[in-house]
Amino acid sequence: MTQQYDKLSPDAFKPVKVNNKEAEQIAKPSLNFWQDAWLRLRKNKAAVVSIFVLFLLVIMAFVGTHLTSHGVDEQELSRANLPPKISWLAPIGIADGHAKVGGKDVDLYAQKNVKENYWFGTDGLGRDMFTRVWKGTQISLLIAVVAALIDVVIGVAYGGISAYYGGRVDDIMQRIVEILYGIPNLVIVILMIMVMEPGITAIIIAIALTGWIGMSRIVRGQVLKFKNQEFILAARTLGASNIRIIFKHLLPNILAIIVINTMFTVPTAIFFEAFLSFIGLGLQAPNASLGTLINDGYKNIQFQPYILAAPAVVLSILMIAFNLLGDGLRDAFDPKMKD
Amino acid sequence: MKPTEKLLQIKHLKQYFNEGKANEVRAVDDVSFDIYKGETLGLVGESGCGKSTTGRTIIRLYDATDGEVLYDGISVHSKKSKKELKDLNRKMQMIFQDPYASLNPRMKVMDIIAEGIDIHGLAKNDKERKKRVYDLLETVGLNKEHANRYPHEFSGGQRQRIGIARALAVEPEFIIADEPISALDVSIQAQVVNLLKELQEEKGLTYLFIAHDLSMVKYISDRIGVMYFGKLVELAPAEDLYTHAMHPYTQSLLSAIPFPDPNYERTRVRKIYDPKVHNYQPDEEVKMHEVRPNHFVYCSEKELEALKAEHL
Repeated sequence: MTQQYDKLSPDAFKPVKVNNKEAEQIAKPSLNFWQDAWLRLRKNKAAVVSIFVLFLLVIMAFVGTHLTSHGVDEQELSRANLPPKISWLAPIGIADGHAKVGGKDVDLYAQKNVKENYWFGTDGLGRDMFTRVWKGTQISLLIAVVAALIDVVIGVAYGGISAYYGGRVDDIMQRIVEILYGIPNLVIVILMIMVMEPGITAIIIAIALTGWIGMSRIVRGQVLKFKNQEFILAARTLGASNIRIIFKHLLPNILAIIVINTMFTVPTAIFFEAFLSFIGLGLQAPNASLGTLINDGYKNIQFQPYILAAPAVVLSILMIAFNLLGDGLRDAFDPKMKD
Repeated sequence: MKPTEKLLQIKHLKQYFNEGKANEVRAVDDVSFDIYKGETLGLVGESGCGKSTTGRTIIRLYDATDGEVLYDGISVHSKKSKKELKDLNRKMQMIFQDPYASLNPRMKVMDIIAEGIDIHGLAKNDKERKKRVYDLLETVGLNKEHANRYPHEFSGGQRQRIGIARALAVEPEFIIADEPISALDVSIQAQVVNLLKELQEEKGLTYLFIAHDLSMVKYISDRIGVMYFGKLVELAPAEDLYTHAMHPYTQSLLSAIPFPDPNYERTRVRKIYDPKVHNYQPDEEVKMHEVRPNHFVYCSEKELEALKAEHL
């Protein structure tokens, strides 16, 4: 070993010239937080599929109601209780308009002399399920948007103010939240309905009253965590105003958490509406929501399962898509949280 | 060079947290000292002794419980108009301890450094703003390609230099360096400390250098103050403090410095400071006394006599 070193010529030992400028160079392309998150989100197949599914559902909710010539509450008893019929699926025996009546396989469309095809069938009053399901989806999406808005507007502002100003303000605001949180949601809704007509407004007010509490707590925690960080102190020593600190320093840092939390609030709110409509506290006939449709359907589940199937499937897909997207966003925004 | 002009006078500064409650903390308890123009005053002491709180109270991040901070004769903590406050913010700046927490992770370096420029309206247009940021990056040894990057792309030393550039952006006269090197690797520490020294020579800055690394403090400071449990126990010129440590706590601190000499290390005895050694009586007045020229010690009259006998 040592002999090898003896053979090395002195020329091999030249001081390396270090260029300080070069040492400071960063080769990696600069990516900001959102670009980075998008790269990670794109790798998550479930989240990407969810985005497409949600996109499709939103389009169908608005286009779907116009694809057939039937209105939402257009009744026609002569075409009541028709099973689904889709012309291109009929040859393979699915959705061919046949149903078992008294143990015999009957083509109900031929029997009732209906020329038109009803893709999701019709209900007991002869209303087109296809139109009604997408109308119900519209209601669910409306609730989604409202819940998200309430979360972002009330929840973020409430939590943010509570944490940022701290002290007595925080104490009082948090006690109010605790009182609100202590009242069960269902009790609030039932009280609402006693003074109001049951319907979409009552549900929205019920969500507005308590729906933002989860968000406000998360935002409060985040603001508490960030407000004593050194970069906020640095901004303060530079003379930054409160407005500047909130909008330039705090909000950009908690935005990711706000987005994630909204994505998880939305399906909860959708389900809450569907649940209220299902138990009869929500939308009233003839309005359709996924909850009321499922309620109608489950009464006839043994004879006409398709009335239940369509809204139940749409509701499930909606919930799963929001949850998977929320999961994907959480992993994308905070890779450390992934187990 | 003997600095004489007092830039900053701290008089009986007190900072209590949870005042009047059972969990009251006297983070800074009646501390008085002056900082002269152009000097570096080191502030040392163990964790939690109130060094950082002193710094943060001086720069108004906390409202002082009691006492006064005079900057150029103007009281820092009195009520002020927005303009007066901004003027003060421009004169006093701070460099923070943790280079990973002191830069906003969602802002580009350009905007981080330009924050002071934006707040105080120091650049007339975007071009001038950019130029100033590039100049500042150059000053701290980074290049202008770095302006469009985010803090997470930099190393600890580079981040700390960005923090220094941000403080320099408003052209301050006085900088509080709150343990600027304690989170850095030893090889990078020298880089940052040398940068601070160069800047001081170039721009005539005054530093309050808070640290717990005694050897580094000795290297950069003209005078050193030693804090113990919210009180300043000794204040002396750097050399004098090391050669004539008087307060038993200072002696204890100095005895903890390791030295790269095996012979010395073998005989080094770690002194433990026990506040009971003072045995102060209730009627005894304990305050700062000048024992040697410019060398102040927190002691009683009785101790003063003994110290004078020993060190003069």
